[in-house]
Amino acid sequence: MKKIRLYYEEHNKGPMKLLWQHFAPQHFAFFGLIALLVLVSLALITPVLTPHDPYLQNSQLLLLAPSWQESGLVSYPLGTDDLGRDLMSRLMLGTSYTFGLAILAVLGSLLIGLILGCLSGMSKGVKSSIFNHLLDLALTIPSLLLAIVIVAVLGPGLINTIWAIMLALLPQFVHGIRNAIMQQLKLDYVTAYRLDGANNRQLLFSVILPNIWEQLVLMGTMALSTAVLDIAALGFLGIGAQSPTPEWGSMIADSLDAIYLAPWTVALPGLLIFTTVLAINLVGDGLRVAMKKRREN
Amino acid sequence: MMLHYLLRRLFLLAFVFVALTIFAFSLNYLFPGDVLSNFTGLRYISPEQETALRRILGLDQSYLQQYIYFVRRILDGQWALSFSSQQNVLTEILLVMPATLELASYALLLSMLLGIPLGILAAVRKDKWLDKLISALALVGYSLPVFWWALLLIMLFSLTLGLLPTSGRLSLLYEIDHVTGFMLVDILLSDVSYQQAALKDAIRHLLLPAVVLATYPTTVMIRFTRDSMVEVLEQNYIKTARAKGLTRLQVLFTHGLRNALLPVTRQIGLQFSALITLAMITEVIFSWPGIGRWLIDSIYQRNFPAIQGGVLAVSCLVIVVNMLTEILHTLFNPLARRF
Amino acid sequence: MNYYPHLLTLLCGSLWLSGCDTAPQSTAVQGLVYCAEGSPESFNPQLVTSGTTIDAISQHLYDRLLDIDPDTGNLLPALASSWHVSPDGLSYRFRLKNNVEFHHTGYFQPSRPFTAEDVVFTFERVLSVANPFHHAAAEYPYFDSVDWRQLVKRVTAVSEHEVEFVLTRPDSSFLSTLATDFAAILSAEYAAQLQQQGHLEQLDQLPVGTGPFYFRHYQKDVMIRYYRHPNYWRQQVQLPQLLIDIVPDNTKRLAKLLTKECDVAPIPRLAELSLLSKKPDFVVDAQTSMNVGYWAFNTQKPPFNQVKVRQALAYAINKQNILQAVYFGQAQVADSLLPPTSWAYQQNRQIQGYDPAKARQLLAEAGYSQGFQMDIWAMPVQRLYNPNALKMAELMQADLAQVGIKSKIVSYEWNTFRRKLRLGEHDSVLIGWSADSADPDNFLRPLLSCAAAVSGSNRANWCDPLYDDLLAKAVLTTDITVRRGFYQAAQQYQSEQMPLVPIAHSKRFQVHNSKVSGIKINPYGGISFANAGKVL
Repeated sequence: MKKIRLYYEEHNKGPMKLLWQHFAPQHFAFFGLIALLVLVSLALITPVLTPHDPYLQNSQLLLLAPSWQESGLVSYPLGTDDLGRDLMSRLMLGTSYTFGLAILAVLGSLLIGLILGCLSGMSKGVKSSIFNHLLDLALTIPSLLLAIVIVAVLGPGLINTIWAIMLALLPQFVHGIRNAIMQQLKLDYVTAYRLDGANNRQLLFSVILPNIWEQLVLMGTMALSTAVLDIAALGFLGIGAQSPTPEWGSMIADSLDAIYLAPWTVALPGLLIFTTVLAINLVGDGLRVAMKKRREN
Repeated sequence: MMLHYLLRRLFLLAFVFVALTIFAFSLNYLFPGDVLSNFTGLRYISPEQETALRRILGLDQSYLQQYIYFVRRILDGQWALSFSSQQNVLTEILLVMPATLELASYALLLSMLLGIPLGILAAVRKDKWLDKLISALALVGYSLPVFWWALLLIMLFSLTLGLLPTSGRLSLLYEIDHVTGFMLVDILLSDVSYQQAALKDAIRHLLLPAVVLATYPTTVMIRFTRDSMVEVLEQNYIKTARAKGLTRLQVLFTHGLRNALLPVTRQIGLQFSALITLAMITEVIFSWPGIGRWLIDSIYQRNFPAIQGGVLAVSCLVIVVNMLTEILHTLFNPLARRF
Repeated sequence: MNYYPHLLTLLCGSLWLSGCDTAPQSTAVQGLVYCAEGSPESFNPQLVTSGTTIDAISQHLYDRLLDIDPDTGNLLPALASSWHVSPDGLSYRFRLKNNVEFHHTGYFQPSRPFTAEDVVFTFERVLSVANPFHHAAAEYPYFDSVDWRQLVKRVTAVSEHEVEFVLTRPDSSFLSTLATDFAAILSAEYAAQLQQQGHLEQLDQLPVGTGPFYFRHYQKDVMIRYYRHPNYWRQQVQLPQLLIDIVPDNTKRLAKLLTKECDVAPIPRLAELSLLSKKPDFVVDAQTSMNVGYWAFNTQKPPFNQVKVRQALAYAINKQNILQAVYFGQAQVADSLLPPTSWAYQQNRQIQGYDPAKARQLLAEAGYSQGFQMDIWAMPVQRLYNPNALKMAELMQADLAQVGIKSKIVSYEWNTFRRKLRLGEHDSVLIGWSADSADPDNFLRPLLSCAAAVSGSNRANWCDPLYDDLLAKAVLTTDITVRRGFYQAAQQYQSEQMPLVPIAHSKRFQVHNSKVSGIKINPYGGISFANAGKVL
């Protein structure tokens, strides 16, 4: 029996549902999201899942071609590198390094940026001005240069470059969060809360943070793509991940020597980096468009 | 009003410079190794030299005093010596900086020539297939890891097709005197018999690195111009102009462009720091003898004075460029002037 | 400046690029481009032992008193036209060539040809602390490692074209030392000029010699430009200029070779040899070479000061694997420092094969049954005795893990690497040596003698008077059989003590563009382009 509409009801969906409603129809963004979910799950469970040990060298099977070529073997689906290590396993493990660590770096930077941004956004006057300009300084040092300085001080290695990337992402987060907070502070409901007697802390946690978290997610997505590219670039230059760590960027650098004989050892890690960043950007763009559409409706 | 604004900017500039020099000063202590070596760049210090140097650097006095000496040396041009060449780091930087500037400026030019028209096109044909195509290409370009992209282009154009060289600025056979450091200018200034051939060769060497470096700014330019243009095109004054009877093109050029391009100018300044990072990676892949490659070589060589000098120089460059674009932006945008 | 033509040229230039031909050919400018794997440390071969530096400077700028025949290993006259050894072996007299001209450069114009004065200055500089130029350099590694200052009492000019060396004891390897690249002859007149100007360090930075090319310009880490010496004493030099392009990256060097930006590349990646030999544009030269790649332990650091530990490590390494993965079968497994082609070589009956069980047993006996941690320093550049030290280190890392030893791979830029090695910062290092002469002393002394431990070429920091004694006795006599006996005893002792593990003797390769002619691989010493020519 058809539902009888006896009275006028407002069917207001929650903001999240609305967002999803606008996000899902964007085909590319949706595919991007699925790709990201696959990558995240790979990053988490790879150590258990790889067909071979990513570090095991097999001197009988150096530079084996991928399985779709005549000289390839099915047991090594993507072939082997110049030390006989299975490429597919290394690429899978690389997800945890390149992608997984990028997520950690962004989360870390976001947290610290949140603290600093809140402090700066809620304060006024000279203090905030000085703080802002210190941040400007941090923005002027290119991220690669910052990484070089940190590597010079602490030595090369993946963990040290994560610090560098966190530092490089920080100013943008603080800037963005500060601007978002300042925008919020101008709104009427904030004034209403203040009139009700809320102090700064209550204001921050009950009003401001719940309203800016979506912008935070957006900033996080943008920062994530930068982080992945930076980790890969630093690994490629040799100041990030050290061999035999199978980080995608350093895998490309290691395999460059064999590029004429085995171009797939260079092409495949690069392709994965590209796909990851593309997926992140697709999701980011999709979110942005969805938020805009939701605002317009 | 304008003066007030400029004064304020200069004061902020000074503040940022001070913070930068404090950071560079602290690096001497943070870098591993002997502090004296890091400050001066000398590898072997004899005991007599050591006492004299300690006095000059003020190592027995307070940090503030040492910092003042440090700033004085920086302003004098007496930067530390490079560990590997034992030459003044400033001289080396001035030698390699023009190469990076040349590459970056040609890349920026390319990105503006390509990005802005494409962005405008995408905005005008919003949501049609052309817009979708351009936006998709921009997204792809934005997501490419620059080193992988460079490798692909080298594989295609240099090794497979053999059209372009793989690295360097100029074929070594041509000897061009270093006058300004900008290769094309130097070639035109020199009067050698092979000037035409050298010019052609220099452009061939410049093409691939410039294209690689221009990829990211082009995509940013496209996305930004498109967004900015779309916003402007929706404004009421555009509708009024159309209603008054102006053609699409006239509206675009007289009203749309100037307003849409304003934020783009600002973006260039903000993106410059990212551009330097990309330039450094591009220089390494194409063996372009600029400051990026010099800095990366310095980290391989653990050349701490060089890294310190490089940080100072590159940051100063970025600050200056940021400042210039902000001033330009304020000049053109009456709205920003109220600061 | 009117910039319209500038802009127009730029636009036109970029427009007609699509119709361009492949390589930057020009009828106006000629020369040969050689792609080197690193920057030279100095422009004076006396001060270095690195093959990279020697290749970049030695045979181009300088000549020596004697040369070595590449096919037989015998000594040939060069700047010395003839020589005479006294019966007691303590005095050597050389008759010098006439009318040999030094370089005319922008910073020096010679007023006289080569005379005995130049020879005296060249060697006095190394031997005599009183010579003003002696301290202009930090050290003379090769000469120190063979203890030259103890050996040579004095060098004097007997007449304008005759020189005499007086030794403190007979040494049958003396002539071979004079034939190495390190004994390059400098200009005394130039030295006097520099002394007057007060720029002593320029002797090694702005070089003057008698070689086929003279120095024009050097940009650090980028390139070196040499112009032809028009009055080279040996023959007319064909190439108007010689460019050394510094390309530390292996892949880039090969890429430059393929796009014809480089005409000659040394030590190509062995994996690509098959690729290159199939292309008609390129010629691959191969030669059995006198070299050795080895793994040295820093015997000053525990646990490497224990013989059992060193022996264990030697048993832990799978050399056959390395031969396949790194040398692609183009080398032989080494059981001694001396390659099999040397006349003093004897097959080692006590070869350490691959035996991880024995390794673990020895480690337990030495008290390290739990294993330990160490680092392996690996060269970042290709050398002819080791085309890929980083890969080798990775293989060894896996082998060592099997016997419970955790290892870390350490690498720096080449010159920085060598500098740090010199300071003894390493636990172990993968490095090697390539012969400068046919004399076995050239292998055994600079690598493992006590003097070499001081001078730096003894990477194992190993000093054993027994070993030094054997070597000293070997050079006291000119009788080959007696010498061979001593050298074999020395090799036997070395494999018992195992301060280093010899890994492989590699064939030497060189690739060049088929348009280039007149380059032969020089088994002893740096690359020479004196006879090279290029067809356009």
